[in-house]
Amino acid sequence: MKGSPWVTLGKFVGWRLARMTFTLWAVFSISFFLMRFAPGGPFASEKNIPEAQKRKIEERYQMDQPLWRQYFTHMGEALTGDFGICYRMPDFTVNQVIREGFPVSACLGIFALVIAVTVGTTAGVISAMNRNSPTDYGLMASATVGISAPSFVIAGLAIMLFVFMIPLFPAGGWGRLANVPLPALCLAAPYAAYVARLTRAGMLEVLSLDYIRTAYAKGLSPATVVLRHALKGGLLPVVSYLGPAAAGILTGSLVVERIFNIRGLGSHFVEAAIQRDYTLAMGMILVYTFLLYSFNLLVDLSYAVIDPRVKLE
Amino acid sequence: MGKTIRSAFPWGILALTVAAVAWAVSFGGLPPADFTMDNGTEVATVDPAKAEGNPERHVLDCLYEGLLRTEPLPGAKIDGPPNQNVPMHPAPAMAESYQVSEDGKTYTFKMRAGALWSDGSPVTADDFAWSWQRTLHPETGTRYGYQFFYIQGAEAYLAAEVKPGDPVEIELPDRRDPLQNFPRGTVLRGTLTAIEKPPEPQLAPDATKEEKEAQNRAWRSEWVYLAEVDGKPRKFCTLKSNKSAEQILNILPDFQKTVGIAAPNPQTFIVTLKEKTPYFPSLVAFYPLFAVNRKCVETHGDPDWTKPENIVTNGPFKLQFRRIRDRIRVVKNDRYWEADKVSLNVIDILALKSDTTALNMYLTDEIDWATSQPASLIPEIKARQGDEFRSAPMLTAYFYRVNTEKPGLEKKQVRQALNLAIDKQLICQFITQAGEVPAEVYVPPGLAGYANPPGPQRDPEKARQLLAAAGYPNGKGFPHVEILYNESPPTHKTIAEAIQQQWKQELNISAELRGLEWSSYLDAQNQQDYYVTRAGWIADYPDPNTFLDMWVTGGSQNHTGWSNKTYDKLIADAAQASDPQKRMELLQQAEAILLDELPILPIYHYVSKNLVKPRVQGFYPTAEDVHPLTHLKVGPRGMKAPATQEAP
Repeated sequence: MKGSPWVTLGKFVGWRLARMTFTLWAVFSISFFLMRFAPGGPFASEKNIPEAQKRKIEERYQMDQPLWRQYFTHMGEALTGDFGICYRMPDFTVNQVIREGFPVSACLGIFALVIAVTVGTTAGVISAMNRNSPTDYGLMASATVGISAPSFVIAGLAIMLFVFMIPLFPAGGWGRLANVPLPALCLAAPYAAYVARLTRAGMLEVLSLDYIRTAYAKGLSPATVVLRHALKGGLLPVVSYLGPAAAGILTGSLVVERIFNIRGLGSHFVEAAIQRDYTLAMGMILVYTFLLYSFNLLVDLSYAVIDPRVKLE
Repeated sequence: MGKTIRSAFPWGILALTVAAVAWAVSFGGLPPADFTMDNGTEVATVDPAKAEGNPERHVLDCLYEGLLRTEPLPGAKIDGPPNQNVPMHPAPAMAESYQVSEDGKTYTFKMRAGALWSDGSPVTADDFAWSWQRTLHPETGTRYGYQFFYIQGAEAYLAAEVKPGDPVEIELPDRRDPLQNFPRGTVLRGTLTAIEKPPEPQLAPDATKEEKEAQNRAWRSEWVYLAEVDGKPRKFCTLKSNKSAEQILNILPDFQKTVGIAAPNPQTFIVTLKEKTPYFPSLVAFYPLFAVNRKCVETHGDPDWTKPENIVTNGPFKLQFRRIRDRIRVVKNDRYWEADKVSLNVIDILALKSDTTALNMYLTDEIDWATSQPASLIPEIKARQGDEFRSAPMLTAYFYRVNTEKPGLEKKQVRQALNLAIDKQLICQFITQAGEVPAEVYVPPGLAGYANPPGPQRDPEKARQLLAAAGYPNGKGFPHVEILYNESPPTHKTIAEAIQQQWKQELNISAELRGLEWSSYLDAQNQQDYYVTRAGWIADYPDPNTFLDMWVTGGSQNHTGWSNKTYDKLIADAAQASDPQKRMELLQQAEAILLDELPILPIYHYVSKNLVKPRVQGFYPTAEDVHPLTHLKVGPRGMKAPATQEAP
């Protein structure tokens, strides 16, 4: 069986999963102690309560135990995938919060990713085809703006334009299709810009290769050359960027979710940390770590599939 | 193999994308609500025993109703100008009437005949007695325990204070679920005869607070309680390891015998207070004293009973669903005793964390009522939206706590100088901008029967003299001082910067700024680890006492280290005073001391800031910023000019 691609694949995935487990543990431990050493606690309030009551609450949440014991208790909970009750939203468990928030963030992320890839590659290809023309400069200039402008600025502009000046979309909320385009666009903008630059660079490199000259020499139309021959090679850098992009879009949605009042994971992430909601914060951190790692793994795998030159090792 | 997978790859990606988009689009929209309001943030809970804060109040006032509820005074004009408060009072609700005994200490509530829970069962006095006990149980974790402390025995019950000779209730460790304090395990009732305490552990002098707490906790858990139960002496201990005693979960004062809460029959609810408390009816109308449905709580347990499919409530609206950090939708409760007067059928309560988003949604008709606005835009909102912006003084104070144990700040003249140097007018006019009232006094004006003592006026010249008299002429040699504030909303920082500048300019004192996020800020304040810190207080009930009793020596909200015997005595005397006028005079003297000693620097009194669409009728400003949704009516969207109406 030696040399079989399946064995290589198995080894590769196994190794990566082992590394992911280690990373999850490390992230869990560091965040756990960082949270605990931050001033204030989940039950901090302007209203002070009697000592006996405070003791009872701490006992209930096992906060009277030594820190190392709490650490192992919570790690045990995390291992079973049950993160317990949110300290600051006692009506909900962490799992419920994640179950409700994840589909929303994922949906927004998918739209953003689709927009980023479609707009980005199209712009990149057009730029590459019209190298050093005003179109090229225009597109690349806007890409630079897209990368550098923070999302709250883009969101503000988008709201001014498409909510107030041309009332096309609602100002905020989630649940209708009309709620999707604006936040997805704002979220996608920097990634679209980056994808455009990558595509342009990739295409320029491919377009100068011999096989493209051959294709032109055969008498193929420019469209056929680009779509059938050049694009395959030109898009490879984009694929390798998709992992970090997907992860970045998911984690980067905090600001956009706040501005458009979208009930995704991002808003919980920030609030949990600020409110010292220990359980929710740990749950969120682990979910994000897991997502980041999985995306990168998926991209590495797909890269090996689409580019025959890449070997899994 | 590689090649086939490779050629299938783009199609796979495409299919995945299409599927994902289709899934994303598939969740259907919601039917629109009759009325949509912004609630500022996600509510922590819909359990009145655990809630704290104003957003929770909006939701709980919809879902539940107390023995009394806050209503406009009969005959009050509710269609006045948009900046004039309508006087409110606690009116009969779940209780159809109540009587106060001659000495003002016993309240007898007669339960409303025909008041029902949303599952159809009647609301009885037992529901309130049980709910109040649940709230006071130390394990429930209420933040508003002090609202019950006027009731006899309530404080001792919450603090689990037992001493020999007391009637006690002892809970055995046989609960259905150890983490659920209700239903309780077997409860034994008896009399505590003695507590056997092992010698108190000696602490190392450099022990941290945590170490002290842990040691104290361990020591307490070893206590052995000797009690007589049914005539037989028995030994109890919370530790399992103590083999000579029976293990117990809790030992509390006997609720039935020691706490002044009783339900002699389902129609009668009797509360006995420690002192005459003229504002007690206002407390009863506030959500910590609401009731929850015992059967619902005990069947489903905590927190499952709060789920929309399980929850049983008694208010004008029922919980339809909750979407975390999005909205709570409530619908009209047809079983509510006054359901015929409620005109809204569906209300959405949105958790809009950003006030800019709330404003955008208000301007695009997505919400009908916005409860907060970005401070910088308020002048423009006032100019553009006109009467839709309804703003009136509130029973609140924005002030700075001064740590009276820090060098320099321990001197009264210094605190007076700092106060006299602040240009409060300027802060209200150019920073907060919504018509906030500069605070010369601390208790907000407008409380019936109360006259503020004269407050110090801004006087930089006098401030400089005072500072010099304290030994710091022109700020020379003044020790380190910094202003602590919470970073969100940004207004706190702007105000701190203004005050920093004024102190520098008028007194030549360089204060540093220290912005922290909320939890760290609270922690620093509670540990008294600050010099000067920003704070706010909202009246818990419409009476000067809610502002003044927190500054007594060692008061749980004091945090300034300030202590004044005369002040303590005035507050205590006021609580005992039977003559209302005399009481107000005592409180006035207390405030005069506070304004002379200045452990706090009053800055301004907040105003309510509500943006309400013209189609909404029955919305009026109130001093506590409460707005019963039962009174609202809505016209068609886009409607202008509200119609006039009278209070019921």
